[in-house]
Amino acid sequence: MRALPLLLGIAALLAPLAALAQQARAVVVSSRIDDVAVTVYRAPARSGGPINPNWPQGFAFITETRTVELPAGPSALRFEGVAEGLLPETAVVNGLPDGVLEKNRDARLLSPAGLVDAYLKRSVTLQRTNVKTGRVVEQEAVIQAGPNGGVIVQTAEGFEALGCSGLPERMIHARVPRDLSAKPTLSVLVDSNAARTVTVQLLYLAEGFDWAANYVADRAADGRTIGLTGWVTVANGGVTSFPNAQLNVIAGRLNKVYSPPLPRSTPGSLVLKCWPMDITSTHPYWELPPVIEFDDAALDSLEMVVVTGQRRAGYAMAPPPPPPPPPAPAPAEDLGDLKFYRIPFRVDVSAKGQKQVVLLAKDNVPIEQLYAATLYTSAAGRPQPLTLRLRARNEETDGLGMALPAGMVSVFEMAGDRRLLVGEAKIGDKAKGERVDYDVAASPAVQYSVRSLPDPDPKKYRQWEVRLTNARSSDAEVEMLIPFALDRTPEGWERRGSAWVWRVTVPANDRLNRIFRQKLKGD
Amino acid sequence: MRAATGAWTGLCVAVMLGGTFPAAAQESAGSAQGDVAVTIYNNGQSLVQDDRQLSVRPGRNRIEFPDVSARIRPETVTLSGPGLSIVEQNFDFDLLTPDKLMDKAVGQTITLVRTNPATGVERTERAKVLAANGGIVLQIGERIEVLRDDGLPVRAVFDRLPPNLRARPTLSVTVDATSGGTVPARLSYLTPNLGWTADYVALFDVAKGAIDIQGWVTLTNSTGTTYSNARTLLVAGSSGGGGGFRQLSGAMDMAGTESNSRERLGDYYLYPLAARTTIANAQQKQVSFLDVKGAPARSTYEYANRWLGSSTDPVSTASVLRFSTSRQGGLGEQLPAGTIRVYMRDGRGDPQFIGENRIDHTPMGSAMSLRTGDAFDVKVQPTVVSRTRKGDSRWVTKMRYTLSNARPEAVTVLLAQDGLHGDVRISDESLKSERISADRVEWQVPVPANGKTDVTATFDTRY
Repeated sequence: MRALPLLLGIAALLAPLAALAQQARAVVVSSRIDDVAVTVYRAPARSGGPINPNWPQGFAFITETRTVELPAGPSALRFEGVAEGLLPETAVVNGLPDGVLEKNRDARLLSPAGLVDAYLKRSVTLQRTNVKTGRVVEQEAVIQAGPNGGVIVQTAEGFEALGCSGLPERMIHARVPRDLSAKPTLSVLVDSNAARTVTVQLLYLAEGFDWAANYVADRAADGRTIGLTGWVTVANGGVTSFPNAQLNVIAGRLNKVYSPPLPRSTPGSLVLKCWPMDITSTHPYWELPPVIEFDDAALDSLEMVVVTGQRRAGYAMAPPPPPPPPPAPAPAEDLGDLKFYRIPFRVDVSAKGQKQVVLLAKDNVPIEQLYAATLYTSAAGRPQPLTLRLRARNEETDGLGMALPAGMVSVFEMAGDRRLLVGEAKIGDKAKGERVDYDVAASPAVQYSVRSLPDPDPKKYRQWEVRLTNARSSDAEVEMLIPFALDRTPEGWERRGSAWVWRVTVPANDRLNRIFRQKLKGD
Repeated sequence: MRAATGAWTGLCVAVMLGGTFPAAAQESAGSAQGDVAVTIYNNGQSLVQDDRQLSVRPGRNRIEFPDVSARIRPETVTLSGPGLSIVEQNFDFDLLTPDKLMDKAVGQTITLVRTNPATGVERTERAKVLAANGGIVLQIGERIEVLRDDGLPVRAVFDRLPPNLRARPTLSVTVDATSGGTVPARLSYLTPNLGWTADYVALFDVAKGAIDIQGWVTLTNSTGTTYSNARTLLVAGSSGGGGGFRQLSGAMDMAGTESNSRERLGDYYLYPLAARTTIANAQQKQVSFLDVKGAPARSTYEYANRWLGSSTDPVSTASVLRFSTSRQGGLGEQLPAGTIRVYMRDGRGDPQFIGENRIDHTPMGSAMSLRTGDAFDVKVQPTVVSRTRKGDSRWVTKMRYTLSNARPEAVTVLLAQDGLHGDVRISDESLKSERISADRVEWQVPVPANGKTDVTATFDTRY
């Protein structure tokens, strides 16, 4: 609808007669999608939290295949049923034999306010119904002001504000203005040498999609291996569904620049405002002093609890279902420097919906259980719990050896005959060959404390005594980062960042002391 | 449905047919704009030229110009025409609303039409508006009452609209005309909210080492006005600014020195649209302006470490696409500022999006490096191995950079160490480096397929 004036405009150059031009430029509406592929990219800023179901912050690259009947000569091709969050500057139309003249995205929408806006200074029919007699009176009127701040109409009697008399009044418009459309629509102007049926590909980026990787790690009874299942959760926050789509997801971080918000349709909602309507009998009520709010801390905290509860219910992703024997997922494809996962079967990407499919399933992945900490001398005196860390190696010999997209890991363990959650950890993108650490929980059973000891050369050195305690009935393998230079540089210790990695075993139900001498003036 | 009506409706229809009824109704046919030419700059500022035919009387005329931009900058308006001299210009944006209509009617007489709820009979009387504070106080004959105090329906009908209140912001100019008749006049003004950027679609083929780039001009109009059938000229460059204050990105490695036959305005390039076009309000419009196939391009990896930067986990290198805009071995065009979106074909040959970045206005002949994202499989872990003090103002720093590659082919990473302030010498290194500047050194590090490479360097710092 909206493309018409535009066509008109261009055609007017060739034939100044508007009516002729209107006939010359055909409008072709394409509403059927023959085939669609949706590639979802994760929200760049979301580190590990759940997807925002109201409007997912990632985006998708959508490839639609459509069949259109093009008439000979110039025509406007309108694509209906595209994704709600379409970024028009990214739209590409392939397959048109003679190319695209221009692309337009129009946001002047058909709405009550849009109608008033379009009919401003134009004639409408004003209809009044007498409530008692049922008699309907029609009258010609011209809209003199609106839609923002109320509507003023001019009749033969004078000027009136619409909806201020208390009488039933309504406006009747002769027709829908040509340049208002029901939805923001993408249209292209094309020129075809001959009438033909063509298959076009419409490719665009759209906001309002997101995906997340979730892993479920089930620890074997002996604690030495885990079974790892990865799930992909895909969310579509828009109003458009893509049935029977080829769904792909892309892992890795790519650069996405800020897209400015699109121009909005000018009027908002139509509010018929009048002059002040105060009368003598309403007046005293307006003089009541306002109710003074007071802070009730108890009430606040109660509310907070409630809100959090709602959030969990509303926001948290559905807990991954217990893994049934999953279909063999396809390994990731390299797409440039990103990882491309093709879901091996067709799925429906539903509007306002989330969907989960299996990303990977690996059994018998050996893990190492460690207790990890960084030595913070500022926390001297108080015991600090260490972090329970499960370490896997992303190598083929260790049962993995594949790209692991960033996501949350939930670790489960069997306690008796019950499957219990040990903890959750966030991991970043891990390439093949990398160390994968799941920092699951703080362990109250294994703690460290540090205190400073006097040193004979206090200008150059400081001494720290580290005490590790183990309240478990088995040995604890501890990995502690020492973030300063050590006197007598250790031999064969791993470096991580600028820190030294101190590996030590704390015997079961025992403690262990060790003194480190810090070089204050560097190595 | 024109059922039996009160006498006043009949009167109304009669008046309508009589032809004295609102002249405004005639405007509905279309825009009051004449021949419009729009020049659009990159910074969202546009120059609108509107050639209209004005009918004037000799002497003073007040001329209203509807359908100018609602965001017009009134101080930039000029009106020129033979025999016209401007007396004054007004831009009125006091908008007509029901409460302003009532407020301006204080002290005046209006018509009230009351409907009897029992019988439906209408009664008309005249009333003087005494005040409009919170509610409307009226004087009817000798009585004082409040409008609709009893809640019954009452229509308030005003005789006229107050002057200077308008439905839309309106420009009016008072001119002195030397003679009467129809005069061609040119109205020109600047308006914000009408701007353009460039959007590029780059399809990268790794195997061929080439990109195909299509450029689209994206016009955005949120001025509240449609410019119909306008001659459109785009200016690549922003008036104002410069001096290095607004660098959009670091995509340009080396500014080019080539030029072509494209028309210029000062130092800006001009992009005229081939045909007239209608730029509708609330519209985003795209017109193609560039199509280059098979320009050489290659994908590279970069990592720049800050001074004493270290990490406990490997950090992704940046994926960088390098190409040139020169005539020889490049795109052979200058590129207006905008966003380049890079696509690649997946295993089945379907294009997929792999990242985007902004570029600034780029002269022809420039070397470009476009950062599209982070590499999943190529990472760097920098370590500060030791820092040794060698005197009051001298330190020796040993660095180790572990580069890992999980891809099935060998890659080369551009590794840089930044922040070499003061007198920094490299006393020892495992790979020959290139000193780019006083504060930056770079290595080209080959990393084998599914392998690792360590680079060590010793920096001797005096300050």
